[in-house]
Amino acid sequence: MIRPLSCCAGLAVLLALLPVRADTATALPEVRLFTTGGTIQSKGAHRQKLMEYSDGKVSPTELVDDLPELRDIARLSYAEISNIGSGGIDTPKLLLLAQQINAWLAQPEAAGAVVTHGTATLEETAYFLNLVVKSDKPVVVVGAMRPFTAVSRDGPMNLYNAVRVAATPAARDMGVMILLNDEINAARDTTKGNTYRVDTFVARDAGPLGFADSDRIVFYRRPTSRHTAHSEFDVSKLSTLPRVDVLYAYQEADDAAIKGFVSAGARGIVGSGGYSEPLAALKDRGIVVVQSDRKGSGRVVKSEKVAAKGQVTADNLPPHKARILLRLALTRTTDPVEIQRMFDEY
Amino acid sequence: MKRLSLMAAALSASLLCTVPLLPAGAAEIPTYAPLPPAPADAAALPTVVILSMGGTIASRGTPRLNVANYGGKGVPRVDPEDWFADEPELATIANIRLEDGRPPVDRASGETQGDDLRVAARLRVLLRDPTVDGVVVTHGTNTLAESAYIMNLIVDSPKPVVFVGSQRPWTALSGDGPRNLYDAVRVAGSKDAAGKGVLHCMNQVITPARDVSKTSAYRVQTFKGIDVGAIGYADPDQVKFYRAPLRRHTTQSEFAGRDYADLPRVEIAYAYRDAPGYVIDAMVAHGVKGIVVDGTGAGSPTTSQTEAIKRAQAKGVVVVATARTHGGRVQDTPRRREARIVPGDNLVPEKARILLQLALTRSTDIADIQRIFDEY
Repeated sequence: MIRPLSCCAGLAVLLALLPVRADTATALPEVRLFTTGGTIQSKGAHRQKLMEYSDGKVSPTELVDDLPELRDIARLSYAEISNIGSGGIDTPKLLLLAQQINAWLAQPEAAGAVVTHGTATLEETAYFLNLVVKSDKPVVVVGAMRPFTAVSRDGPMNLYNAVRVAATPAARDMGVMILLNDEINAARDTTKGNTYRVDTFVARDAGPLGFADSDRIVFYRRPTSRHTAHSEFDVSKLSTLPRVDVLYAYQEADDAAIKGFVSAGARGIVGSGGYSEPLAALKDRGIVVVQSDRKGSGRVVKSEKVAAKGQVTADNLPPHKARILLRLALTRTTDPVEIQRMFDEY
Repeated sequence: MKRLSLMAAALSASLLCTVPLLPAGAAEIPTYAPLPPAPADAAALPTVVILSMGGTIASRGTPRLNVANYGGKGVPRVDPEDWFADEPELATIANIRLEDGRPPVDRASGETQGDDLRVAARLRVLLRDPTVDGVVVTHGTNTLAESAYIMNLIVDSPKPVVFVGSQRPWTALSGDGPRNLYDAVRVAGSKDAAGKGVLHCMNQVITPARDVSKTSAYRVQTFKGIDVGAIGYADPDQVKFYRAPLRRHTTQSEFAGRDYADLPRVEIAYAYRDAPGYVIDAMVAHGVKGIVVDGTGAGSPTTSQTEAIKRAQAKGVVVVATARTHGGRVQDTPRRREARIVPGDNLVPEKARILLQLALTRSTDIADIQRIFDEY
């Protein structure tokens, strides 16, 4: 059933259509699962093992066969992008994922998409997709805090709920969503806030959009920042993205890291606090500087002082998300005024 | 109604009285720095009505460290004009009109639902005025969220209505009132705030009336949207929104567009271990049309309450279940359906009460009331 494909990045990509129950399937919405790996697809040495669970991978078929209830709520197909921890998700995989999701959602029969992902950088992939998916159909990124093999594992219910949301018309035009622990969160505003708890994903400034409750999917909010079908960014023809690095701010931080970033070819640098002096010199070298903050909540307010330095403020995006927006911004312009507009809007 | 658009006069008057030692009972606002500059184009400012319903933000206490035992009989209140005199820079962000909607000072009881309905009718008139861009309602914080929610359902205008209060009296050291009032005026004058329903703004956080609750007795960050959080912020540089609320409100509300003299009587029964049914029986004997049972866990009444609910329903009383967890929805389950108990979504009981009161002005049909709780 599974046909291996190869792609330009040299990744082994598996794409397959799962057979579904023919009797009930025709009326059900069609959802495609894009699997990348992570804890939700990991096995531990024993069922109480909640860390260092690298004793095996869960294939997409194993993941879906474990959850036959999915067949009652959607017609499922899957595409395997990778089966790795989220630390290994790189630009080629992000671009491949975006291009495949866009190809799927462009099909009239497609209702939505679900992406499995390791939780550590899940929010980065989700925000990237939020900016480059060209459809208002639901895209839900899902993960787990406990491996596939653990007692009280959270993965299966998360996956079940993610498919429910992806199959829900009310979830259209919400931007890319993150679903763990029954909460439907907006990709832009949500961050991993705890290393091990199942309620790790939190939207500190703007809260969840809704909930996957057992009686129904409920939405209370719609995001007002630009996303998906309303986004100006297009990665359909790109094979790479401009390099942008993040500078962590701390007492006595000097320009050592900045020198490294510049020599590695960074076209943009995201700062994370008030130590801006070493960054000011970058303006003359054509490197765009965005000021974010390491606190993880609240906006970096717009300031004439910062604008006069040719720098951009990141609104309330944390540094790792400001990096993603800056990379995409740099595919279109290097003008700080235009990039500031993008940070105001996205 | 007094129109105070004489900004220049107010500003210069205030500059003259930069007295470091404030008289007892005046606003505790530092005068170390000058007032912000007047806007270049005052005519372009939005027009915002500040309507006082009183509260801590309109209270005085002495000494300035008194943040718990202020106001009361014989202590002069802060009149709307006092706010403007103490904080004339309000005129740099809006053309301000002041209006006093407080209950009479000598009335024995505090604020009533009758006051809310009177203010709702007044808001409808104010917002029909094409020269008004938005309204700020100041309110005591204890029942502010209820008052804001009833306006959210009755007021038929997309113009911003912003509820504000303070946790410390107007006269307190580090009082939060002046900044809260300033920010509320900014939000009420913000075009981005239009169409988002009645809003609450304190501590720079903007939360819709439906979802906001007071969560702490004294902290300045007391108001929270427990389930779904804030939708924006009154930041130093701008008023910024991240979310639009999806539940029906104001211009989309079927309850808006008319005034109400009173509403059907609905009471709240709290659930706890061994909570008796006779409280519910007493409510029915008093003629209530609806009862909100604030249940344990996911909205469960006790066995005695369940029996009393059946007796109440037999007399035509509509019963809605909320959860005393005050976070999370009461779900639509077969068992609850069989018991003809309407799940109150994630509304806190005091707001479920208001929605049920308004619902009962239109229907006593369980299915219709269920639809209303799903949509609002």
